[in-house]
Amino acid sequence: MAAYAALAIALPKGVAGHDVRPGYLELREQADGTFAVVWKQPTKSEVPLEVDLVFPAGCRVSGVRQETAADGQVRFHARLTCPEGLTDQTIRLAGLEGLQTDVLVEIHYTNDTKETHLVRPASPSLVVGGAPSVIDRVFAYLGLGMAHIALGVDHLLFVLGLLLIVRDRRTLIKTITSFTVAHSITLGIATLGFASAPTVPLNAVIALSILFLGPEIVRVWRGQTSFTIRHPWVVAFAFGLLHGFGFASGLTSMGLPQSEIPLALLFFNVGVEIGQIVFVLLVLALVRSFRTLEIRWPRWVQAAPGYAVGSLGAMWTIDRVLVLMGLA
Amino acid sequence: MRRPSSRGSAAVAIAAAWLLAMPEAAHAHLVTTGLGPLFDGIMHLAVTPEDLLPVAAISMLVGLRGKEHARAALLTVPVAWVLAGWVGLGRPVEIPLATTFVSFLAFGGLVAADVRLSRAWIVVLAAALGALHGYLNGYEMAVAGLGMTGLIGSAASVFVLMTLASALVVSLEVGWTRIAVRVAGSWVVAVGLLMIGWSLR
Repeated sequence: MAAYAALAIALPKGVAGHDVRPGYLELREQADGTFAVVWKQPTKSEVPLEVDLVFPAGCRVSGVRQETAADGQVRFHARLTCPEGLTDQTIRLAGLEGLQTDVLVEIHYTNDTKETHLVRPASPSLVVGGAPSVIDRVFAYLGLGMAHIALGVDHLLFVLGLLLIVRDRRTLIKTITSFTVAHSITLGIATLGFASAPTVPLNAVIALSILFLGPEIVRVWRGQTSFTIRHPWVVAFAFGLLHGFGFASGLTSMGLPQSEIPLALLFFNVGVEIGQIVFVLLVLALVRSFRTLEIRWPRWVQAAPGYAVGSLGAMWTIDRVLVLMGLA
Repeated sequence: MRRPSSRGSAAVAIAAAWLLAMPEAAHAHLVTTGLGPLFDGIMHLAVTPEDLLPVAAISMLVGLRGKEHARAALLTVPVAWVLAGWVGLGRPVEIPLATTFVSFLAFGGLVAADVRLSRAWIVVLAAALGALHGYLNGYEMAVAGLGMTGLIGSAASVFVLMTLASALVVSLEVGWTRIAVRVAGSWVVAVGLLMIGWSLR
């Protein structure tokens, strides 16, 4: 453990778990043709990221006020007046191109129709006009879920830790299924608003779950056994519940309207699962390929994934506990 | 290996002159995933057929020759890729796009002909492929501002693809499956010829 702590301190600060939250922009058309604007900036480590809304020329923004929600998130409210309307006009999210997060944009019209856009850094603007189809929204949420797991180095390290502990195919299927079921339960509960977990302690406990696997991996190397090694699916289920709350932050931070939540929840979760399955299959295929090619890695290379799990888990735990205690 | 004949040398000289005369420079195919330079680099291989097909071809070539050849190439290509890419990052010089077609013809042709190369020759060819495509990647990463992180991402993709593809070919035991691999090699040559035609239009 001391070695883990030392490695953790030695690792650069840039290596961090993912706590980037996407932004959310809502434009709600009013009876007088103006739009009520709600803007939640994307955040990283609870700090708002620099993204500026650039509305079409001729539009005027007025009545800007700031509001801090119960969860500490800052929202901006304003009124947008566009004498020539918004249809076929471009809204730009200046600064998004330099970030690694998305912004969900929803435009509600007075005739009860709605258009949704997921604006990505690769194309940080949108052209207003026409509600996207359900298929477009499905792919948008699938992509959001896959991006969330791809950037979720902490979740992937936990899965890698489980793969290093599991010894046979049956246990592997049981363990990955347990993790999936568990995080799906809490993802649903949190997104539907039945329960929530405060972000800072949650991040600390997720880091602790990764650190927890480090010594178990060492036990496997030494040929020892433990409850976790005998029943990894139990541990995967227990910690999976926590990781689900972490996944939920990718959706709840958007402040989605109730009507959009079932679709978003379903396909965001499917996206997360696709990303997770791809990761697991890739690791298994690589291990099998190394065996086929009879590659004998030096001992330190063989140990590297286990040490990565343990040392990064230790680093994030220390870092997040310091944040929790207000010392960082 | 036969020594190259004077006719062969002339063909190489003509090909080299043609490549140097090609006006089109190497174009970046970098995709912005929005997930950072590492992921952009990882995805680069998937969306760049100029790199993907030669890497797939050398994987098939070493897979056909067996485990020892595959192991030798598996480490040589990514190392040469990163070293040459590092040079490309620091001294970005435009290289004609057509140079990549040489890899298509050479490696696709070697697979199609199922040439029995020694391990030393495999290492030389692997280093050449890694150096050429790594340099081009380094140039593209420099232009796109992805830097060394993007380059490491693309080299990691090369390593993963080569590991999976060469192990798959090594594990093929039924006779017709090896023929299928050789057919795939001829397709790489065909794609190379198509791209040459495209660049001459």
